[in-house]
Amino acid sequence: MRVFRIFFSLLLLAFASTAIAQVKLTMWSHWAAEKIKRDFVEDAIKRFEAANPGVKIEASWYEKTALYAALKTALRAGTAPDLFYAEPDQVEYMDNGLLLDLSPLNWSAIEPWAKEIWSYKGKPYGLPLEASTVELYYNKKLIADLGTKVPASLQLDSAALLDLSKKARAKSMTPMALGVGDRPFPGAYLVQEALLKKLGTQDYDNLLKGKLSWSDARVVDTLKLIRSWTDAGLLPTTFTTLKLGEAHSYFHTNPGAVLFLNGSWYTSRAFNPPDKGGQPANFPLGIMKFPAIPGAVCNECRTLSVQGSYVANAATKHPKEAIAFLNSIATPDVANRWLENVLVQTGIKADYAKVGGPHAGYFRELQATGDGSKYYFGAPSQVMQGKPKEVFTQVFNNAFPAGSVSVEEAVKQMNSAYGK
Amino acid sequence: MAGKKSAVPARALPLLPAERQPWGAIIAFLLPAFTIYTALTAYPVFRTLWNSFHTVLPKKEEFIGLANYVTLAQDEIFWRSVKNTFIWACASPLAEVSIALLLALALYAKIPGMRFFRIAWFTPVLMSYVVVGIIWVWIYNYDWGAANAILRVLGLESWARAWIGDPKIALPSLIFITTWMWTGFNMVVLLAALHSLPSEVIEAAELDNCGWGAKLWHIIIPLVKPTLLNLLVLSFIGKMKIFDLVWITTKGGPLWSTETVSTYTYKRAFEWTTFDLGYPSTIAAVWFVFVLAAVLTLTWLFRQRDRLEY
Repeated sequence: MRVFRIFFSLLLLAFASTAIAQVKLTMWSHWAAEKIKRDFVEDAIKRFEAANPGVKIEASWYEKTALYAALKTALRAGTAPDLFYAEPDQVEYMDNGLLLDLSPLNWSAIEPWAKEIWSYKGKPYGLPLEASTVELYYNKKLIADLGTKVPASLQLDSAALLDLSKKARAKSMTPMALGVGDRPFPGAYLVQEALLKKLGTQDYDNLLKGKLSWSDARVVDTLKLIRSWTDAGLLPTTFTTLKLGEAHSYFHTNPGAVLFLNGSWYTSRAFNPPDKGGQPANFPLGIMKFPAIPGAVCNECRTLSVQGSYVANAATKHPKEAIAFLNSIATPDVANRWLENVLVQTGIKADYAKVGGPHAGYFRELQATGDGSKYYFGAPSQVMQGKPKEVFTQVFNNAFPAGSVSVEEAVKQMNSAYGK
Repeated sequence: MAGKKSAVPARALPLLPAERQPWGAIIAFLLPAFTIYTALTAYPVFRTLWNSFHTVLPKKEEFIGLANYVTLAQDEIFWRSVKNTFIWACASPLAEVSIALLLALALYAKIPGMRFFRIAWFTPVLMSYVVVGIIWVWIYNYDWGAANAILRVLGLESWARAWIGDPKIALPSLIFITTWMWTGFNMVVLLAALHSLPSEVIEAAELDNCGWGAKLWHIIIPLVKPTLLNLLVLSFIGKMKIFDLVWITTKGGPLWSTETVSTYTYKRAFEWTTFDLGYPSTIAAVWFVFVLAAVLTLTWLFRQRDRLEY
């Protein structure tokens, strides 16, 4: 009898432990090629699993385009993972009720603007892990060789940029590394930042939402100004086919460029070891603000957008555990760890003064470019939808900076996209 | 009397087991093929047509009649992609088949090094579009690509271009790639056709002192005409569906200059911020009709009116 009792007790224990370890969350994420971010998320998973022995998270890593295509099919078929990577412009997820309402998340730990960006019809849907600004990186040595001095305001004016371009071309250097071979946004940075400064946040918002015509004189003037930069040879001759990863390497390694206009997530690639695509050791990296635009309403304006975020599937069988995992990331400690390791801003509240580590100096410089800034939240691709978004991408990411369409044609295409 | 019909009507005799239709075997043999055809061809075609009259969202399906077709008729990007695809589908077969015929004739005439050339010319078709696309993106690179490097060596620096980055020449540059890739395949098929020509006809022409040009024009081309026409139609259909190469090299850009119907359908289904499958299905349905009509027209135009006899 005693033997039976022991046997049944052991059996019960075995069943109980299996039951505890039964919750398995699946997660699909971008950043397969961005080791720093991937390491950060994997570390967060390990910590969560250690604190919650009954829950296991199985993460799969993708590149963004493949992830989006896979998710579209999986969500439709009801086979999507419990948690996945998303960005706030993917309104179709919210539109179709495919995301779990994240109201129970600890929102006091998250920046109000980041919550606002992820809110749809009054409910928040995403944990805004990664936020970024558009930064103008430069090679301190090359810019000194050209005799260009970066002012204390960290902002060149348009004439100085034009002068820099001409000097660089005269020395057979590429003034600015930028490529649109595999991404729908890098080329558009030029237009978006210049228009934001020229118009100010309100009119810029009106422009992106089709409430202000692209024929507005201020818009046309700004586009003409950008055309004068590109006509001066600002961009690489390979601009239209240069891929994002290649543009990084073009800037810091081979052949080298004076400037690099990129999101502040530059670090997630550049701070890898050089043999994994990172910048060379002791690379003289500097950061300055996007050039001032003549006659601008708001030269201190800049774009701040939320990118890499995590959302939960509305159909998950484990909503409690999914939210618990996201909550485990939404803490100031984790946010500080993100800043220290990834060196990109985050939508989670963090104490920027506490950031240490080997790249603390870089982070101070990044903060300095943000001093006194006024932000517009969201990149054009996140604000626009449908045809205007497609036309904006084709025209301003690629054809206009490449010089393939005139200012007049670009304006006409945009107005037509908005049905004007 | 022998030819006289019997007055007694023939009695319907029961069929012998060997004369009965073997329905069991017929069904057993047809069922797998029928099931696969129904599941993987007929149903998707029907479903695509069905979707084209609906808004198809993950949790909602709504009948909208011809609304998608009306929108499509006014969709400039769609018409741009139709134009690009037609240009590709018309230019490419002509280039591929005519170059292939010349190469096949060269091999048929047993030029020196013919074994090497046969392999070299055929090799591109063994590679996938993905590999070919990556190779040609390198070749077309403005700074260090082979195309511009050769032009620079020849002193033609002013001809150097961003071959797939300039909207004016991106499409011809891609057409050149498919021509390079598929000419070898056409060449091999034509070479087989040339080798199967009746030697007595060619020998008779030679006895009549028929020159190479006349022999080619009056004898060889008419004899291989059915093969030529089949190759043209096959190439045409292939280019009407082209996707992979565009996706690897230009993704339809710059400024939709290389957008094809297939890439646009994919973008509308997977890249635009919508889950609706109705509109992409409409594009697919319309394009199916276009391709079918074009193939039927070509087949009718190219039908063999006079049967050759030899």
